[in-house]
Amino acid sequence: MMENTTPRKALQMVVIAAVALMFLLPLYWLTISSLRPEEDIFRYLNPFGLWTVVPNRITFDNIVNLWSGAFSRAIVNSLVVSFVTVIVGLAVCAPAAFALAVISFPGRGIIFSAMIVSFLIPFDAIAVPLYSIMRGLNLQDTYVGLILPGVGNGLAVFLLRQFFQSIPKDLREAAMVDGMGWFQIFWRIYLPLSKPALISAGLIMFIFQWQAYLWPLLIAPSNDMKVAAVALAQFSTAYNVSFGLIFAGAMFLSLIPMLIFVCFQQYFTGSVAATGSKE
Amino acid sequence: MSPGSRPWSGVQRSMSNWAKIRVATVFLLPAVLSVILLRLWPALLAIHTSLLAPRAISYSLENYIYIFTDPVFLNSVRVTLVFALIVNPLQVAIALGLAILMNNKLPMTGLWRSAVLLPVAIPQSVSAVIWAAAYRPDGLFNSLLQAVGIGPQRFVTSPDQALASIILVVSWIGVGYWMTMLMAGLQDIPKSLYEAATIDGANAWQRFRYVTLPQLRRPLTFVLVADTVANFLVFAPVSILTKGGPQGSTDLIMNQIYTNAFVNGDPGSAAAATVVLILLVLAIVLVQFRLMSDRSER
Repeated sequence: MMENTTPRKALQMVVIAAVALMFLLPLYWLTISSLRPEEDIFRYLNPFGLWTVVPNRITFDNIVNLWSGAFSRAIVNSLVVSFVTVIVGLAVCAPAAFALAVISFPGRGIIFSAMIVSFLIPFDAIAVPLYSIMRGLNLQDTYVGLILPGVGNGLAVFLLRQFFQSIPKDLREAAMVDGMGWFQIFWRIYLPLSKPALISAGLIMFIFQWQAYLWPLLIAPSNDMKVAAVALAQFSTAYNVSFGLIFAGAMFLSLIPMLIFVCFQQYFTGSVAATGSKE
Repeated sequence: MSPGSRPWSGVQRSMSNWAKIRVATVFLLPAVLSVILLRLWPALLAIHTSLLAPRAISYSLENYIYIFTDPVFLNSVRVTLVFALIVNPLQVAIALGLAILMNNKLPMTGLWRSAVLLPVAIPQSVSAVIWAAAYRPDGLFNSLLQAVGIGPQRFVTSPDQALASIILVVSWIGVGYWMTMLMAGLQDIPKSLYEAATIDGANAWQRFRYVTLPQLRRPLTFVLVADTVANFLVFAPVSILTKGGPQGSTDLIMNQIYTNAFVNGDPGSAAAATVVLILLVLAIVLVQFRLMSDRSER
């Protein structure tokens, strides 16, 4: 047994690395292409050689051009929509989760089930009818129209409720004896104790909005209100495309969530584990 | 413990149910409103629209009859089912394989795990744009194929390869996420079970078959269902890479709904298809609840 563990481990490490590199390949190609002059991007692909994987000329022109064009407006839109969604979304979901986890009001079970089942209707499935409602409310091409779908998030409510339930009862019993009301208990005891869960929930909402494609495509078609994901896609299907700009835009749109993701990975995997295995 | 020794239960009881309902209403109101506005109302509107045939003033099932006799819609249902039958088992199998492979304490594994998970963080539309460039005749993939002696392929422009190309993109995007969920499940399996199996002389395959698989039942069910639902809703990659073509070979149902509503200007048919999709998804999720609660009762 013992003597074959080392080569086996080495083999396992090689296999893992090979698989991971396959997953990284498109991202690596994206990165080097965004740093290449326009005419070099497809030039060295065939035949496959050293210059295919190592850029021989590096330029930041694509990135500079990206920011000077209309795309910068789209990126600002995406950032505004995503960050406001996180703040408003937490303000909507955290109190709801608190009521469902802590206040033992009659009918709590029914409300919780009704909410979870409603949120099980995937958002994209009802995007088309929701679009005709929001157009009727004159919310087309507005930030409100873009942000609203992200603020009510069933997964965030579920996650926060679960976390609130794990906070010992004794804390709120003591607070009640001290004369605190529900609002104070929520604001001064539960929220400060729930940072990891709040970050997980915020992350879910951020990624929901940063990922969004179908909804912003419908609700915000004007050039001023277009979000970056939509702008990039339309860019790439335009007749006379600049691949330098496309790659620079894709790079930027990928980099932001990847950075956030790397910084908060433990919270993200925590939320995944919580929803996946311990329901 | 006697009730009297817990001061809080006294406080709780002294609060009338009405007071609690009032407080809970305030806390719940924004979320309940968002559920009604963002989920129930559009779902009801979809039902309403789907029951109104073009230029009709009373409800009928005409739109449903129409879409289920429309060869374009039927083709999209067929493509969606073929896609689901391939992509879901494929993704879950790869995610399980990766989860088992990466569930170790070897150096660097954490880093490689993040590498597999990274595509999840990227917007699907952005991934689609990257892959669209890679699938070009002079793109990355043909270059790689050429390097190993395989001639150029048409990928998304070939009716035979387009759906497979879409499957490859969505799997690259999603597999890391499902892997992470399954790894959490793997870590919950008691080590003693593997030790006992080894003592009983079980080989690696038997340990997988008789320890890992049964112990992973719950997370595997969850992943399979969540993945199935997610894959019924694939839109951005299709919309960007193929627009449903060539020859309808990638016309997944979300793309069909979008085309009906906004290209063909047929809201009734789009709404009927939406209702079918919602019912399908809810049915799958309810089956999941059944499967998962069976387990906890035993």
